[in-house]
Amino acid sequence: MLRRLKFLAALGVMLLLAWVVSAEQRFPPPDFDSGYRLPATSTPAARQLWRQYADAGVFLAALATAVWLIYKKRSRRGLFWLSLFSLAYFGFFRRGCICAIGSPQNIVYALFDPEYAVPVTALVFCFAPLVVALFAGRAFCAGVCPQGALQDFMLIKPVTVPPWLEQALSVIPYVFLGAGLIYAGTGTGFVICRYDPLVPFFRLSGGCFILTLGAAFLLAGMFVGRPYCRFLCPYGGLLRLASLASKWRVRVTPDACTQCRLCEQSCPFGAMREPAPAGTGPQGLGAARKRLGWLLALLPVLVAAGAWAGSKLSPAAAQLDPAVALAERYVRQQSAPVQYGLMTPEALSLQRAADNPEAILKAAVDLRHRFDLACWLFGGWIGLVIGLKLVALSVVPSRTDYEPDRGACFGCARCFTACPNERVRLGWMPAVEKPAPL
Amino acid sequence: MNTAPLHRALSLTAWIAGGFCLLLCAALVYEHFAAATNDPWKAPQLLALKDKLAAEPRNEAVQKEIRQLDQKLRRQTRLRLALDKSGAWLLLGGALALVLAAGQAAALRKTPALPQPKTDAGERSAKLASRARRSLAGVALAVAGGLVIIRLVNPSVLPAHQAAGQKLPGAADAAEAPAEAAPALAELQTNWPRFRGWDGSGAAAQTNSGTNVVWRSPVPAPGHNSPVVWGDRVFISGGTAAKREVFCYNVSTGALLWQRAVENVPGSPAKVPEVPEDTTYAASTLATDGRRVYAIFANGDLGAVNFDGSVAWTKYLGPLKNSYGYAASLALWGTNLLVQLDAGDTPEEGSKLISLQGANGRLVWERSRPVSASWATPIVVEAAGKTQIITLSKPWVIAYAPADGAELWRADLLANEVVPSPVLAGGLVVLFNPGDKLLALRPGGTGDVTKTGVVWTNEENVPDIPSPAGCGDLVFTVTSMGMVKCFEAADGKKNWETNLDAEVKASPGIAGDRLVVLSVDGLLVMLRAGRGLEEIGRSRLADKFIASPAFAGGRIFLRGTTNLYCLGPENAQPAKQP
Repeated sequence: MLRRLKFLAALGVMLLLAWVVSAEQRFPPPDFDSGYRLPATSTPAARQLWRQYADAGVFLAALATAVWLIYKKRSRRGLFWLSLFSLAYFGFFRRGCICAIGSPQNIVYALFDPEYAVPVTALVFCFAPLVVALFAGRAFCAGVCPQGALQDFMLIKPVTVPPWLEQALSVIPYVFLGAGLIYAGTGTGFVICRYDPLVPFFRLSGGCFILTLGAAFLLAGMFVGRPYCRFLCPYGGLLRLASLASKWRVRVTPDACTQCRLCEQSCPFGAMREPAPAGTGPQGLGAARKRLGWLLALLPVLVAAGAWAGSKLSPAAAQLDPAVALAERYVRQQSAPVQYGLMTPEALSLQRAADNPEAILKAAVDLRHRFDLACWLFGGWIGLVIGLKLVALSVVPSRTDYEPDRGACFGCARCFTACPNERVRLGWMPAVEKPAPL
Repeated sequence: MNTAPLHRALSLTAWIAGGFCLLLCAALVYEHFAAATNDPWKAPQLLALKDKLAAEPRNEAVQKEIRQLDQKLRRQTRLRLALDKSGAWLLLGGALALVLAAGQAAALRKTPALPQPKTDAGERSAKLASRARRSLAGVALAVAGGLVIIRLVNPSVLPAHQAAGQKLPGAADAAEAPAEAAPALAELQTNWPRFRGWDGSGAAAQTNSGTNVVWRSPVPAPGHNSPVVWGDRVFISGGTAAKREVFCYNVSTGALLWQRAVENVPGSPAKVPEVPEDTTYAASTLATDGRRVYAIFANGDLGAVNFDGSVAWTKYLGPLKNSYGYAASLALWGTNLLVQLDAGDTPEEGSKLISLQGANGRLVWERSRPVSASWATPIVVEAAGKTQIITLSKPWVIAYAPADGAELWRADLLANEVVPSPVLAGGLVVLFNPGDKLLALRPGGTGDVTKTGVVWTNEENVPDIPSPAGCGDLVFTVTSMGMVKCFEAADGKKNWETNLDAEVKASPGIAGDRLVVLSVDGLLVMLRAGRGLEEIGRSRLADKFIASPAFAGGRIFLRGTTNLYCLGPENAQPAKQP
């Protein structure tokens, strides 16, 4: 019953947040000429520099604390409180911006637009978690990411996603990452931020589509641990790669593994891997090596095919850019006019386009050229990701104990206290009951 | 350890937090719906004050009152929004307590897992990898399929490469085309470019010197619009529910040079509204600036047709909510086309006045009008030192600046449905409140000039359909029953009156010193347009006439139900262009 209560509470929170968003109102301008002139719409001023440094400082401190809690204290409770702090500070106080998830777009945008200077916070938020991941895995996901914290908080009754499906879906974040980076590189916009389904909840504001998507993720998150982190988060994809090379890794047991499977049961994210003796499959090691060879040979073919297919996407992909979309609409209007209401945004934009159609066409065609290259790269990237994943799935693992997958483990520390040896270490179980390895 | 008391406490906390959340939710939902139904910006007190301000735009006391009330309402709304936000945070806190308490309580009752050891790890691992590879192929296909769909549903019409000098289809020509010059005043005065002449007064500079039928040509489609004339061309429109067209005739011979349908207008519904037979789909008179002729029809289609008969542009302005069918005619100012789109039975149904670029139909400005539907045509006049668009519709006479549509002044003078258009005579705007009175209004001042602007009125035999005609200091009126009157524009003194005993729907016109009155059954009467009553002559045409006469090049152009007529001396020439 308490679980049901918890479910209802979570549902209520989501409905409330969605309702609050819809309740937002705007003030109409005065109806008569009072001499007052409405100020022109302007871009908000940049956050004060010291505040940016403060954000970066808090972020680094939170990252360090997360590493300390995972590796030194091995404290789930500590990580829980750190997550709550991150949710409050980086989520509701900073309203989800700046966040590490979108920060790679700042970097890529700066690479292609020399007039854009990357804020120091963007640099810190982008690279610090990656550097930490190279040494200590996904400590950022464990206790610093507000999106992760919100989903973690909503988790009520985790169900196991079939491992084969989890493996297949794990390529989607890389596709999203590729899309986000090409749009950032072409200067179209930061689509990773625009389509972040959880940030609107921090801001109590957002469009209908994105709020619905966010609500769907949170609802799914009651039963599937961190669905956004596992199956969509592009920054999570980067952290996963960095974590594969991490110097240290999370160890479930401080002692010899008893292979009791309690840690496997405790992980709601499907990150625990069971022991796998090498070469014991039905077809033997030889067949596995042959398959691996074929797939390695197939890899450049996949990349080339992806690049070719991606190039065909350019005309459609470019239409997300406002300049290209306006040019498309304008040209269509000439051949097949569409009647827009007077003074509607569409009519006004067409009117503006008509003032200098040549400039609109030139800008759109230039952007299309950039998208041609970007889509080649995007398609090649998808081919590479799928090819490498196939290769990874064909490498025969060799494990003797239950251990967390380096890339998939969020470092949430749930498995620590599930381990009988850890409970003995903590003094929660008498040493005499210490089970012997099977 | 006995965990029962702790579990009980956590459960109680969870229930209390749950109840708190439910109550808060209910309160916020109630507040949300209450706010939705009580829109502060539609508060009766505020609306009443706004009405008052509309009647007295310069009343500073009312403005101050509105500001104070506006500030009060804004403060209340801000308070409500603040309460909403506080409520949201409180609810978030309540939900947090609930989730934490419920989660901890559940943890106390959690049954420890007792998993069994697994065997055949190597075989399972190989099977898992095999299934993962297959599902990965499925995901790859799904991604590829998704991208193909994105590509297919977003076709591009842009060229892949911009060749040197390549232009954006269509618009580049317009962008490169030199800006059109507005027709010169002399051109406008020489021709008959709109309903009742260049200034809408019904008067032409040229004197007509004959009523011989020079030619007549069949009218191919029904319509009550009056002819417009430019150079050697005379234009009318006609139409039915099935098709609406513009017709161009040769002024000298009456030959139909071309006819062009205004059709396939973007956004225009295939099913046209029903229009009373007495009004027709083409009641609005065309307008021409010498480059194009513009036509609007009762279904809301507006079209610009080049002089060679090709369509320059079309635009759908409907639906035109008008119980008798749309009939206001088009007006011109410089290179812009003015369209008075009054609609509905009440002032809240979207009436507006719009200005469009004649060359391409692009919107220049649009002004909402607090009036109901009307059938009067706006006039553009120079008065009180400025150019003004004078519009009539119940209940307001409103003047606008043609450059930006800014309202200049207004007067609450019209209590009935308005068909006749106004004229400018003797520096005054002369208009009818149909069936009530003839009024002369000083076209100046600002804000509401109802009390200060009216110079004189006359309540005898006020016409309800034909518009007055203005000529210098004189105003001529004709009632539907054929009573013709002449007034002094300055003070409303009646100079003379005569009864023609004929039904008249066409507005009278003036050619030089001759007043032309045309009855429905074809009686054409010419009177001296002066202070003394003098009948110059009469003739009769075997047709039915609703449209008003047009004058150009010493000729009179009459649109009958069956024929278009050109009257004049046998040797009359087309209007000579300045």
